[in-house]
Amino acid sequence: MRFASSAKFAAVAAAALALTACGGGASSSGSADGPVDGKGKKLSVLTGVNSQYSEQQKEWFKDIGAKFKAETGADIEFETFASANDELTRIQTSVVSGQGPDVYSLGTTFTPTAYATKAFVTLSDDDWKKVGGKDRFNQAALGISGPDDEHQAGIPFVSRPFVMAYNKELLAAAGIEKPATTWDELAEQAKKLTNPATGTFGLATGYKDNFDPWKFIWAMSVQAGNPIVDGKSLKLDDPAVKKAYETYFGWLTKDKVVDPASIGWSNSNAVAAFASGKAGYLMMTTSSSVPTLEKSSVAGKYAYATMPTTAPGETSPKGDAENAASILSGDNVVVADYSKQKDLAFAYIKLITSKEEQLNYQKIFGDLPANAEALKSLDSPTLQPIADTATRSKATPFTGAWGDIQLALLNVTVQSIPDLSNGSVSDSALQDRLKDAQAKGQASLDRASK
Amino acid sequence: MSTDSFKDLRTTTGSASGSSKPATPAPTARPRKGEVPRAAPGGSQPPGARRKGLSERNRPLWMLIPGGLLMVVIIVVPLLLGIYMAGLDLDQYTLRRWVSAPFIGVDNFVEALVSSPLLRSVWLSVSYSLIAMVVTLPLGIAAAVATQNAFKGRALIRSVFLIPYVLPSFVVATVWRTMFQPNGVVDSALGTIGIDAGLWLNGPQTYWTLILVQIWASWPFIYLLALSGLQSVDHEVHEASALDGALWWNKLRYVVFPYLKGPLSLAFLIGMLHHINNFTLPFVLFGVPAPADVEVLPILTYVTSFQSFRFGLSAAMAFVSLVLIAIPLFVYLRAVKLDDAETPGGKK
Repeated sequence: MRFASSAKFAAVAAAALALTACGGGASSSGSADGPVDGKGKKLSVLTGVNSQYSEQQKEWFKDIGAKFKAETGADIEFETFASANDELTRIQTSVVSGQGPDVYSLGTTFTPTAYATKAFVTLSDDDWKKVGGKDRFNQAALGISGPDDEHQAGIPFVSRPFVMAYNKELLAAAGIEKPATTWDELAEQAKKLTNPATGTFGLATGYKDNFDPWKFIWAMSVQAGNPIVDGKSLKLDDPAVKKAYETYFGWLTKDKVVDPASIGWSNSNAVAAFASGKAGYLMMTTSSSVPTLEKSSVAGKYAYATMPTTAPGETSPKGDAENAASILSGDNVVVADYSKQKDLAFAYIKLITSKEEQLNYQKIFGDLPANAEALKSLDSPTLQPIADTATRSKATPFTGAWGDIQLALLNVTVQSIPDLSNGSVSDSALQDRLKDAQAKGQASLDRASK
Repeated sequence: MSTDSFKDLRTTTGSASGSSKPATPAPTARPRKGEVPRAAPGGSQPPGARRKGLSERNRPLWMLIPGGLLMVVIIVVPLLLGIYMAGLDLDQYTLRRWVSAPFIGVDNFVEALVSSPLLRSVWLSVSYSLIAMVVTLPLGIAAAVATQNAFKGRALIRSVFLIPYVLPSFVVATVWRTMFQPNGVVDSALGTIGIDAGLWLNGPQTYWTLILVQIWASWPFIYLLALSGLQSVDHEVHEASALDGALWWNKLRYVVFPYLKGPLSLAFLIGMLHHINNFTLPFVLFGVPAPADVEVLPILTYVTSFQSFRFGLSAAMAFVSLVLIAIPLFVYLRAVKLDDAETPGGKK
């Protein structure tokens, strides 16, 4: 690796030198109105592989390809990446070389980093018109498209807000009428639901997951009024963040409402535990858990609900907390700055964000539409709470340093797991880890605001 | 056959080969390269020496050009670029125009050495590799010795021994990670004999988990090289030592092991480098961010490059660790004389 990291990257760089030399100037023509003429052209689209529905995804590629051809006369070539890491490598290569796919799909939390490279088109008013107008999108979904309203590069494609699922039978048996709306209430309910004799626990969540832990901390902190990133300063040393960790760890150490084995779980283990009927609540899940749950022993016995929006220790939502029910999550599409067929790219995005295509996509893959009309038209009781959450999602701070901050938040949990396993995380240890996270995150933030 | 250029050679070696190898029908046999110096003492010294000098001067060195060019393109250029990058403040903000990224001299090196966990990572990497190596060496040798003599089912056993080596790292790590889950297979197996082993995939014990899995995955490599060393021991040597009355341990210690010195030195070297560079195993076993006790070099470089996007810093780290590891490597190479063609290892 010590060779590989430098050598591989340098090889990329060397290739880039060669490629930029023959890159030439890009030109794009065409008008905002009327169909784009793309005869004989080929649009290249990079998107994540959907391992859960790979067959359906291939069908969808074919289907969209045919529709796009009918509309513009151009072909589409879909390429897929298997992991976030693959995607990153691909983007880096393309960014450096100025060559590659015309359209990329990005996870929302990765959008700020991609934006920071300045390799993607920041949409002008004209550009927005070409993709069907800004108004067609769920406005909350635009929250992580760019640093402000005027500078947006990410065009929302699907929403995947985080909610919780609950086992209706278990809740009823414990005499709970409706799911909790505050984190304190959730802990109380979870205690009632827990019965070690039957192996039933109040909450199912994975402490070893690569994403979930920081999402809890983010939500509880933001709801307590700490936005985590405030201008140029990072606020991980704030009491609200510590309280969030204490609450999150407390489920395991003090309240004892989660399975002790969950220190080794990822999200999918938690889904499995809930699916076997051994948990009252499944935390931090998305609509993509529907297919699994529908085939499980809890089919028909579960429902989704928005996660609590009242910070630990509070009795009612504070400030804008009501609108921080979930991180703004889903996929954005971006158009590469080096693309020589931007109009064609916009035409493609217009097609896939239309109401019909968005609803079609939802039906096949479960992800919620980013198209506002399409989102409104979803009224099934299962999806309704999720759709509601989609309009109440809040974007994580839009900074290129977010990747590091997220990693620092996650690292606090990773390094605390041995303590969690022993039954308690000492105050001083937590304090030290937070201090470390604060230092690392702030350093990264300093670079971002340079 | 008898061309002019070989005439004097034949006259030189003809008389000599008669004395050193009586069985050879010498005068008509065309001498192979390498026989000349050995034959020389019997014959006339000057012509042999002259020929050696000639052949060295006339070696068609130009034929190395394609290979040399490839070496330059694949190794030297990237290495130089890597060193240059280490002097740049290259991150996500400057990546797009990386050539014009601000040049900051040795700042990255200073940061790597002073305020990053680099030195700790180097220590973790080297120590874990060394421990894994020291354990795998006897294991591999024992396995090779055990399967040296023919017995029924030997081929099967030999194939089974190779399984860990053949499995991709990714698979090995995934399987072990599953087994090491809290309350997983390993925990319940140890539980039945009353041992509560604690956490395998988090906390201080991760270091030993990594070593354990590394040993499991890499001992067949030692076994393979030890086996090749054993194969080079002539049958006569075994017979001779048996005649001299050497018992198994003495035979092993004084007769067989010297043969293994060359292959095993090589195995040690390759194995160490492979362990130090092993990214897949810790990455899949523990994920990122890794527990502090297994933040080995490849993980640290990966996180710096691809999570924090500090490409310049990461290049500096890579270079510093290259130097740190190259020094003991160089000393080792001199000590075992692997770079010397006249290795005593496999000599008869």
